[in-house]
Amino acid sequence: MVLTDVKKGQKVQIVDITNVNALIRRRLIDLDVVEGTMVKIKRVLPFGGPFTLEAGGQLFGIRRREAKMIEVSY
Amino acid sequence: MNTVALTGNPNTGKTTLFNLLTGSYEYVGNWPGVTVEKKVGRLRGMQGLLVDLPGIYSLTPLSKDEGVATGYLLEENPDLLLNIVDASQLERNLYLTLQLIEYGKPMVVSLNMVDVAKSRGYEIDAKKLADKLQLPVLPIVARTGNGCEKVREAIKHGGVTPSDLQINYGDIIEQAIDKLSFALSFQTDLTMPKRWLALQFLEGNEVVTTFLEKRIDIGLLDQIYQQTVEQCRKTGLVKNHSSLQPYMRQIRSKVISEIIASCLTQKHRVEKTWTDRIDNIVTHRLWGLPIFLLFMFLAFKLTFEWVGVPLSDLLDGFLGGPFTDWLRVGMESISLSSFLQAAILDGAVAGVGGVLVFVPQIFVLFLIISFIEDSGYMARVAMVMDKIMEMIGLNGKSFIPMIIGFGCNVPGVMAARSIEQPKERLLTIILTPLMSCSARLPIYSLFVGTFFAQNQAIIVLSIYVLGIVLSLILAKLFSIFLLRHESSVFFIELPPYRMPQGRTLIRSTWEKGKGFIRKAGTFIFGGSIVIWFLSYAGPGGLDVSMNDSFLAMIGGVIAPLFTPLGFGSWEAGAALLTGFLAKEVVVSTMNIIYAAPDALSLQSLLESQFTALGAYSFMVFVLLYVPCLATVAVIRKETGSAKWTWFSVVYGLAIAYLVSFLIYEGGKLLGFA
Repeated sequence: MVLTDVKKGQKVQIVDITNVNALIRRRLIDLDVVEGTMVKIKRVLPFGGPFTLEAGGQLFGIRRREAKMIEVSY
Repeated sequence: MNTVALTGNPNTGKTTLFNLLTGSYEYVGNWPGVTVEKKVGRLRGMQGLLVDLPGIYSLTPLSKDEGVATGYLLEENPDLLLNIVDASQLERNLYLTLQLIEYGKPMVVSLNMVDVAKSRGYEIDAKKLADKLQLPVLPIVARTGNGCEKVREAIKHGGVTPSDLQINYGDIIEQAIDKLSFALSFQTDLTMPKRWLALQFLEGNEVVTTFLEKRIDIGLLDQIYQQTVEQCRKTGLVKNHSSLQPYMRQIRSKVISEIIASCLTQKHRVEKTWTDRIDNIVTHRLWGLPIFLLFMFLAFKLTFEWVGVPLSDLLDGFLGGPFTDWLRVGMESISLSSFLQAAILDGAVAGVGGVLVFVPQIFVLFLIISFIEDSGYMARVAMVMDKIMEMIGLNGKSFIPMIIGFGCNVPGVMAARSIEQPKERLLTIILTPLMSCSARLPIYSLFVGTFFAQNQAIIVLSIYVLGIVLSLILAKLFSIFLLRHESSVFFIELPPYRMPQGRTLIRSTWEKGKGFIRKAGTFIFGGSIVIWFLSYAGPGGLDVSMNDSFLAMIGGVIAPLFTPLGFGSWEAGAALLTGFLAKEVVVSTMNIIYAAPDALSLQSLLESQFTALGAYSFMVFVLLYVPCLATVAVIRKETGSAKWTWFSVVYGLAIAYLVSFLIYEGGKLLGFA
């Protein structure tokens, strides 16, 4: 399952981020968003716009394309 | 002399603390990447300097501004590191702290935003944290200044040199560290621990790698690295990556988890924060974009109709009336020569005064930009705009330099540094000058006041929107034709909202605006006198009629070029030429040329020279033609390329001519002339 399959507000655990674009992966790691981190989709902007995610009280935004590359599980 | 380096994650209140400790004021914003260059201030109440480094998450740099911090640690030799840590994001922040501890310099940790942490239900035992880190840990609230006195004391005492907390990275890495340290043993000039250099190298820090390559045989460096990776892979510590970074991170994270477990407790859970509530509105699926546009519209109403213009009118009345009279009386009483009187009244006062009257409007605009920055709304605007920006080959973050560019293009161009991707960064830099800066505002104000008095805000807004729309179109064109395709990426941190404090807002508005006043007092003052002299002297001698002056000759040469655009007079030509120095000089020049004592009489003179359509075309030309001198210089510095600098000048001129031509000739066909 990938992050884009998850419903808004549902908390999930990250399983794998190795397929995410290298630049974005580094940023995720910087924010301590790594394998094992719990994340939640807070908001999705329309017309395929970016996602607002929350992990450990920190809000951040990434694009749908990158969210699709993040493997998660319940 | 003591040098203290201030380091921490982005958006943790570093600059606020810097200002408190130094007493001077630096630029603060509530979005990541405000400090794009290191800044130095004098510590208050003691000897020493405080260096404000750009916010970083770890010492391994990703974008250009992050390299500044690592480069600083390599090249300079600070006496003390002041590490600011966001208490509400303790786990993430401690990662950098561990890397800094390995740097081996005396340290002081200031635990900021303890109030935010508390509101989220977290309680941090600073004493226990200090025990674990073996460093002084001082809880503060930088925004209110709470606890900063203690930080000052700790700095005065020189901090504590980290000692006991040495992380063991496992046999393989430790062996590699030993090998590297041995290879460095003849380097006696190193001011930092070899262990730190070795760790940073193994983690893949490119700045450190370059540093080491100058000191150790590259073959040996590579051999040690490859061997270490190979051994880690064999033992399963490193999976399919060829990088040691994830493994080393894992070890540090474990240490951090232990530290956190001992000092952090969650008292209660907070489900819905204020930030959530506000985000629900301003980044709403449908209303997000309209709210942003409405916000911008209100900003223009405030600047041009409700607050800015009435204040400007008052100032204009004063400068053109009582002030000029006093000056004239004063000069006559000391019987100054008529030449000098003319130079001062017709040159300096007309030129500088013509620009100064717009100070209220510019300050209102800067106040609004400061509010957007400080409240946290800026990052949301980047989110809301990302989809549109992606379609044209940029990302939502490019919008931040553009909004700052509305104030002044120079910091706008510099703010592009926070964009990770080189192509997107370059595009943002060369398009930011299309954002209509505050120096262009006096020109619009003058012309809309004359020709579009009833619809000032909407006409000026249309110019701003034209700049934005053109930059979007050009971004698309440039990214297709000029720059090879690289994938566009977007990532932004969304800081919690906070109500900007009046004091911070006023100071940051003043900091942005004072450059404008200083420019008026120096550059424009000098320029006005030169321009006045060129209009006063001619081939026929001094005190010639304006039409026989040198200025008329110079302006007359290029004037025919502008006839198809609707402003083919030598006056317009001369004003545009001088406007390259700084755009507001256009207004100074016009004030001098038309020898108008105040805005009102200048307006009536303009009416005889321009049609409304020609005036609009002129405003569009001013918006688009070459960036001002200061902006060209900063583009040169930021791109490091003469080619792109020339490009930004030339395309500006071409676009300005083309668009003004279309507007003027098209408008005539539609019967607007």
